[in-house]
Amino acid sequence: MEAKEQSKKKELWYWNWLIGSVALRVILIYFSNNLNLASRPEISTPLTSLRRLAEGYWLKQSSMSPYAGSMYHGSPLLLSLLGPLTAKRIEGQPDHILCSLVFVIADVASAMFIRATGRNLQIAYGQSLKFLDLVKLSEKSDILPSGDIAALVYLWNPFTIVACVGLSTSPVENLAIILSLYGACRRIAPLAAFGWVMATHLSLYPVILIIPMILLLGYGPDTPPRKLFLQRKYVEVGDTPSNDRCQQGEAVDQPELPYVFSWRPVIHFLFWTSLWLVYVLVLCGVSVKQYGGLWELFKRTYGFMLTVQDLSPNMGVLWYFFAEVFDFFRNFFLIVFHGNILFMILPLAIRLKHRPFFLAFVYIVISSMLKSYPSVGDSALYLGLLGLFVNELADMKFSFFLFCGYIGVSLLSPVMHNLWIWRGTGNANFYFATAMAYACLQIILVVESVSAMLNHDRKLRKLSATKVLDGKT
Amino acid sequence: MGESESENEAPKVKLRPIVRLGMFLISHSHLLSVVCCTAGVLTLLLLPLLAKNTYISENALMPGSANPMLSSQEVSEANGLVKDLTSLDLKRMASGIESQRLIAQYMSNLGAEVSFQKFYPQSNQFHPLHFFSSPDSATIRENISCSSYGLNTVGIIRAPRGDGKEAIVLVTPYNSEKIGLGEALSLGIAYSVFSLLTRVTWLAKDIIWVVADSKYGEYAAVDAWLRDYYIPVFSGLGIQNAEMCHGLEENTIRERNMRDGFKRAGTMAAALVIKVADRSEQFEDSLSIYAEASNGQMPNLDLINIVNYLAVHRQGLRIKVEKMWSLLNCKWLKILGEILESLGHLAKNLNPQWKFGIPAADYVEGTATLTSSLYYQALGIPTGPHGAFRDYQVDAVTLEISSRVSSNNKGRQNDFLLRGGRLIEGVIRSVNNLLEKFHQSFFLYLLTSPSKFLSVGVYMITFALLVSSLPMVAASLYAHANNLDPSFEKNESNHPASAADELGITLRSWKWLYAAKKVLVVHLWGAVVLLLPYFICQIPNCTPTTSFVVWVLLSIFSLLILFWILGSPFSYVYASQPQQREWALLKSVTISAAFIGLCLMSVINFATAEIGALLMVPMCLMAHPLKLDVKSRKLRNFSRVACNLALGFIGFPPTAFLVFKGVFEGFDGISVGDFWNWLESIWAWSSATYLYIGMIHLPCWILCIHVILHPC
Repeated sequence: MEAKEQSKKKELWYWNWLIGSVALRVILIYFSNNLNLASRPEISTPLTSLRRLAEGYWLKQSSMSPYAGSMYHGSPLLLSLLGPLTAKRIEGQPDHILCSLVFVIADVASAMFIRATGRNLQIAYGQSLKFLDLVKLSEKSDILPSGDIAALVYLWNPFTIVACVGLSTSPVENLAIILSLYGACRRIAPLAAFGWVMATHLSLYPVILIIPMILLLGYGPDTPPRKLFLQRKYVEVGDTPSNDRCQQGEAVDQPELPYVFSWRPVIHFLFWTSLWLVYVLVLCGVSVKQYGGLWELFKRTYGFMLTVQDLSPNMGVLWYFFAEVFDFFRNFFLIVFHGNILFMILPLAIRLKHRPFFLAFVYIVISSMLKSYPSVGDSALYLGLLGLFVNELADMKFSFFLFCGYIGVSLLSPVMHNLWIWRGTGNANFYFATAMAYACLQIILVVESVSAMLNHDRKLRKLSATKVLDGKT
Repeated sequence: MGESESENEAPKVKLRPIVRLGMFLISHSHLLSVVCCTAGVLTLLLLPLLAKNTYISENALMPGSANPMLSSQEVSEANGLVKDLTSLDLKRMASGIESQRLIAQYMSNLGAEVSFQKFYPQSNQFHPLHFFSSPDSATIRENISCSSYGLNTVGIIRAPRGDGKEAIVLVTPYNSEKIGLGEALSLGIAYSVFSLLTRVTWLAKDIIWVVADSKYGEYAAVDAWLRDYYIPVFSGLGIQNAEMCHGLEENTIRERNMRDGFKRAGTMAAALVIKVADRSEQFEDSLSIYAEASNGQMPNLDLINIVNYLAVHRQGLRIKVEKMWSLLNCKWLKILGEILESLGHLAKNLNPQWKFGIPAADYVEGTATLTSSLYYQALGIPTGPHGAFRDYQVDAVTLEISSRVSSNNKGRQNDFLLRGGRLIEGVIRSVNNLLEKFHQSFFLYLLTSPSKFLSVGVYMITFALLVSSLPMVAASLYAHANNLDPSFEKNESNHPASAADELGITLRSWKWLYAAKKVLVVHLWGAVVLLLPYFICQIPNCTPTTSFVVWVLLSIFSLLILFWILGSPFSYVYASQPQQREWALLKSVTISAAFIGLCLMSVINFATAEIGALLMVPMCLMAHPLKLDVKSRKLRNFSRVACNLALGFIGFPPTAFLVFKGVFEGFDGISVGDFWNWLESIWAWSSATYLYIGMIHLPCWILCIHVILHPC
């Protein structure tokens, strides 16, 4: 009874904070002209800036190619969705208020999907722990469920808030990624395929998420290492059937489920993916038909991303490097830098294959660190997802250091930018130093979270081994 | 900061060197923090010794390589202008525009393009985000009263060898309603140079002479002109207001011509503000240089160097920079200077290569100059109209020339005009040689005398030493708070298997979140406190003291409200069981926040950060709950209590201000209203120091007091 009341209270608490975050966004949107966030390089990159999108829309309206003049580099679908909203002005309201409201809705939807995903993950994890007889671990603690924490972290993260208020399209891109992960978690193949295709179409880098998504669809959500289940099974077979623990094991619906790869959802997913892919390509083809066709589109969007043509400062590390590098080495280093992301895919996939959702998180961190035009919106996404693993990462090291680092860097970066651009007393190195510090922080975050997760697995193995020994004696 | 956590994770495994280094630092943090702190203070005292002689870094400048061309002919012309202006003032013409017309007449006689710029005085407004934005976002024009306006007169000479892309600016502020002799003389100096420059062949940059109408303050006039120069308003409010005002005047057509004829030259390479002091010097002609712009920004050191070089070596003027006069008679400073001098001698005896000693008198003088340099940079208020240029990345200085005797003597006055004019001519000729904008020399420096400076690389060491103790202590407190938790220790040692019971529940490594929330709330409160004066200013007929009292009361009230809102009903998630060493975690988070804040401030305005660190670092490091100290009843603990109380007293911004004011200016006649006035001035100039006091210093002080009074 008390537990029910407690959970009700938690629910209420969650909704309060959700409404609070929406209210804060609306207030900030109202003052957005004074804040002038849209011109900050950390928030709106050449890919996500809504001002560029409005420019592209204007070009399109005057029947020119939206990609003319190297202003707009986003998707043509986003252009036809958000473009009409940018053109509408309401008297007495800040510019682009409709778009801002769309972004607020996208943020809230992302948060809800994160919450649902978190519940799903927690239930599945609880089941597999129950199967391993480590029930105590899955007991409800007095803190919120991890899904709620993740959703609130996502909503109240200052990065998310400024990305939403600062007129960047990253809330929409994040929504697509979260949608795909949610679909994969729930094994809804059409939704997962749609999310993945849209995310890839909008920002290209989520293309690497196909590996964790296939694992998610094949194996189901995160579980402890597979070896434990095999051990467990072995012990059960050896035991007498009257053993009560065996009954407990039978209480779990399908003991084989966690370590059998089921092809059906994967095939479904691939089928739906190809369907959506064709659909999106046809739509794009129709909308850019008179402006040079699909090839031009790819060159202006994905080509722009991969060849790092815009060297204006942002919070990544590539702009500085490619501003310095000699032209004849450029192609080589482009391959090296993008290869960096690809090199890490396979080893991580092998090591973390039992935790596909965590794998997806790691991929997102790595790609947002090494992508060509990173913005705070990308960080907002992975910091939100980090909240989903709050129980597993309870022993994460350097958490306080990372927290301070993130705060320090995110405050220092605008100051350094000001020193360089407006005061003229600093130079590009000042700003780039904060970008490097930021990259280092992200590296520490990813390394520490992965090692904390592996430690957690080790701990589980130890506990389960002692349990098995206890059972034998 | 959490390096030592690995201590308990795997004690036997050989750790990485960086982790071991971190553990070493943490385990010796007490000693190291004391050493670092003292070293920081000591190096601060040593700074005058470490100052280097200035040198001209940009080769293109070539100061003094050409002979001055300014002759007595120009000077006599200038004398004519001075005479006309003073006679105009004697006649007390009713319309203020007469003097501008006279100057314009003189300018156009020289063949310069003349234009007028009309501006309306703006009340200083508070823009908390001013620092982070470009200048144009601050152009909100309100409350323009049409009857009061100022009129700047601008003359431009086009350079015969230039392409009109670059310009050098001369500014002479003067009060159009009452022209003093000093102002007339400064106009005379500028005019003599201006008339010379219309004839010379070497000019590669356009010359703009702005005669700024300082009726509403020198800064406002220059700022208004610069804003029109760089950020013209094409539509909307600006024109509307102007139109509205024009309707009231009869002479509309001429006014319109005035407005439309705003003339521009290229980007500005440098700007010189020329003033002549009304007071006269006793011994020789002297020149004061004022360079501090908003937020402690300085012009490029090369500009000061050429002025200094030309004034000393060519014109024989004595150069002065601001000094903290009260420090000159300071006993202990003299003693310290003598000690350092004798140390320098000793070192020289040991090894003739070591030369770091300077005479004691120089040391005292250097310290006084350095202190005032720090103080004016920390205030963040520009020390003259040159400050307006810095906002547009133009290097500018104010040169205030004062003559030996009052210049009634005709020959004296001619000589004075000649020397001043030649100085300005030399500086302009040097700047004219520049190929790019000033970039060679330093932007971040402190002056210890007109020809000695401390670069950023030297003074940052002082600050870094002072501040480096903060992260060490924070890390060690954090590590201890995590290790000494009794429940955790028991679990680890007695039955390791049952550690898992706690696994899902205690977020061991995330325990700091509760303290972080508290710190965040207090910092939010700091932001609220910052905004309160904006509303208090609206209350009519308020003396400074009552305003201050209202402010304090409102602040306390808002603190209570914030704790009530954010403290009680929503916090049940993390606050379920108060931790044993909660104060240690709180102190650790406070110190980390202070560290971040100070580092941030050192980038924005070094001087503020340095002074703030001197006050804040000892306070943060010493903070320890009184209850624990009183319980243990030892001499050491009581001395800590005394230290805590003293530092807590001096750390509170108003008391710190009043104590320093009392020390430097004497304690009589001090009231809390002074603090309010001081704060209002830095607030009106939207100085970052104001933000620092509210967002970093005050919250940190509150948190330290909270730690000291913690009920553990």
